[in-house]
Amino acid sequence: MTRKTLARLAALSGAAALAAVVAAAGSAAPTKGSAGPIKIGISLSLSGDFSDPGKFAQQGYKLWANTVNAKGGILGRKVQLIIQDDASSPTQAATNYQNFITKNKVDLVFGPFSTLLTAPSAAVANRYGYAFIEPAGGGPAVFDQKLHNVFFTQPAPVVESGDVFAKWIISLPKSVRPKTAAYPALDDPFSSPIADRMRGMLEKAGIKTVYKTIYASETVDMTPIISKIAAAKPDLVVGGTQAGDGYSIVKAMVQAKFSPKFLFLSNGPNSPGEFPSKVGAKNVNGIFSASDWFPQAKTPGNPAFVKAYLKAYGGTAAAIDPGSAEAYAVGQVVEALAARIHSIDNKKVIAALHSGTWPTVEGTLHWNAIGEPQGQELLMEWQGGKLNPVLPAGVATSKPTYPKPGWGK
Amino acid sequence: MHELVQAIILGILVGGIYALMASGLTLVFGIMKVINVAQGALVILAAYLSYALFSHLHIDPFLSILIVTPAMFVLGVAVQLVFVRSLRGPDGSELSLLVTWALALGIEGVLSVIFKTNFRVTSPSYADNSWSIFGYQVSEVRVLAFVASAVLLLALSLLLTRTRFGRAVRATVQNPTAATLLGVDANRVQTLSFGLGVSMAAAAGAVYGVIYPFNPGSHYDLISRLLSIVVLGGLGSLGGAVFAALAMGVIEAIVAVKISPVWSSFSFFVVLITFLLVRPQGIFGVRERVL
Repeated sequence: MTRKTLARLAALSGAAALAAVVAAAGSAAPTKGSAGPIKIGISLSLSGDFSDPGKFAQQGYKLWANTVNAKGGILGRKVQLIIQDDASSPTQAATNYQNFITKNKVDLVFGPFSTLLTAPSAAVANRYGYAFIEPAGGGPAVFDQKLHNVFFTQPAPVVESGDVFAKWIISLPKSVRPKTAAYPALDDPFSSPIADRMRGMLEKAGIKTVYKTIYASETVDMTPIISKIAAAKPDLVVGGTQAGDGYSIVKAMVQAKFSPKFLFLSNGPNSPGEFPSKVGAKNVNGIFSASDWFPQAKTPGNPAFVKAYLKAYGGTAAAIDPGSAEAYAVGQVVEALAARIHSIDNKKVIAALHSGTWPTVEGTLHWNAIGEPQGQELLMEWQGGKLNPVLPAGVATSKPTYPKPGWGK
Repeated sequence: MHELVQAIILGILVGGIYALMASGLTLVFGIMKVINVAQGALVILAAYLSYALFSHLHIDPFLSILIVTPAMFVLGVAVQLVFVRSLRGPDGSELSLLVTWALALGIEGVLSVIFKTNFRVTSPSYADNSWSIFGYQVSEVRVLAFVASAVLLLALSLLLTRTRFGRAVRATVQNPTAATLLGVDANRVQTLSFGLGVSMAAAAGAVYGVIYPFNPGSHYDLISRLLSIVVLGGLGSLGGAVFAALAMGVIEAIVAVKISPVWSSFSFFVVLITFLLVRPQGIFGVRERVL
């Protein structure tokens, strides 16, 4: 061993010792106690691919914290959000939650944006016995882990988004019910399973499948797929879509002059602020989609949420992204918990959330053992240039209409 | 048969636009052996510029080519002077990959901050129109985009074959040392050609935004396609790039209709790999001789 190597080893061991001291000091410093604010750790995608939806969630979380603090906080303590950017990376999100729990000693953690980041983060929280109430991880990857600490604050899991539409189609009188259907779907865990599930329900009801395909996410041109569908002339087209491909499908249909009697796209048309500008405002009417929230909903606390949102961030009610409502709902669940069990102890929180119903802007929620909400999504339809909830009947503001008018009408 | 003809029409129209994008890439490689992996990001940047001109100043996207193209030419010249020119020596090509990749990520970042990550579409009033010709639906904007691409490619071709600058470019492609000895200012040729390459991306971007929804991350898919096109066509060959782009458009459309959209992107790569096994220099490429 040369002198140089020895010197390097010494330097390394010195650095390691220093790191150990710093870590020990870090872990000893903040202690969890009942005094002081309630600290809540949240990893959010404030940069990277999910930065837009990440910011919507941040707005919802902050709005809830400000609202609840204005009322004096929870259990007599103010709420303090500790928000860390995860740059849309699942690894960084998991690291952030690890740090919130072990270093910041937070009292609670709230979920990040999207299933991709929620799945590993929920597992970290589960390891430390923390409840994971989350607004945006509704895909199978989250529920397949079968964790008992997960609670998804939307009315239904993503894969069931199209159920309300499929059931409505089946309920139509035979004379007007579509006889044939086509199912284009994006090769993505949030898209093709929705279309597959709907196809299963509709085929069982006797609606013949004349075309089905999945396409890769790099497919920018939908024209070949639509020309194939147009040739098969289905009465109904069900698209398992995300935003960009959803827009492309509609544009390609318009250019191909093919307008089916019924058109459902799982995502794309459900963005009221985006969809008309992408496909042309005159082409939206009669298109169905799924959603979990709308501004006029009479759900618990929703009018107050909309009012507070507009006061804090401006804009119009129609332009509020459901992502903000979903995050706000997470806070509402905690508020209801505190009122009901007078505790925010994670063990008690998990036990309490597995029973009873919980009022939120997303509706009154209840979950099964693995955190899947047991309600149903809203069926939305573009009518007269507006996106209206048309089912379920209790919350709808108008009835579904059919057949879809031609393009430009 | 109807499906097949419709697919071929679509494929040719789409291929024309890709040809325009790829022309800049292959030109720059031919002249300075720089693989500009920012070409896709530059296309998307131009799509945003054209989108901004349309949504704020109501300038027609096809008309905006006249504004976006010269502006991006200046940008291209600046990029070449600041970042690319200094990359000389035996590692120049590899380093240029890194530098242009950094440029692509930089453009993506700036666009994400300014325009957010939502999808955008430039939608002039005629965006949805299509003609029915013998029962085939032909989209007006796609035909316009194809015609614009064809005109620009023809202009580029004339520039390279009929002008003094074009002769200098071709001389530099064939033998840079000999061209310099004969009085060609290689530095000037390289800078202007880089600008020209970027302006081709710009023109293509202006029309791309009318046809497809795009966001700042759209350049990843684009660059993989463009690189495949120029490799199949033969690196540095303009005619090869045009031929390969049209082939790509047609192959993908036929496979999407006749087999499945799942295999349409993949099918082009199968053709590419098969072709390269037989003819490694690409369709129009010239096999390099090592002395």
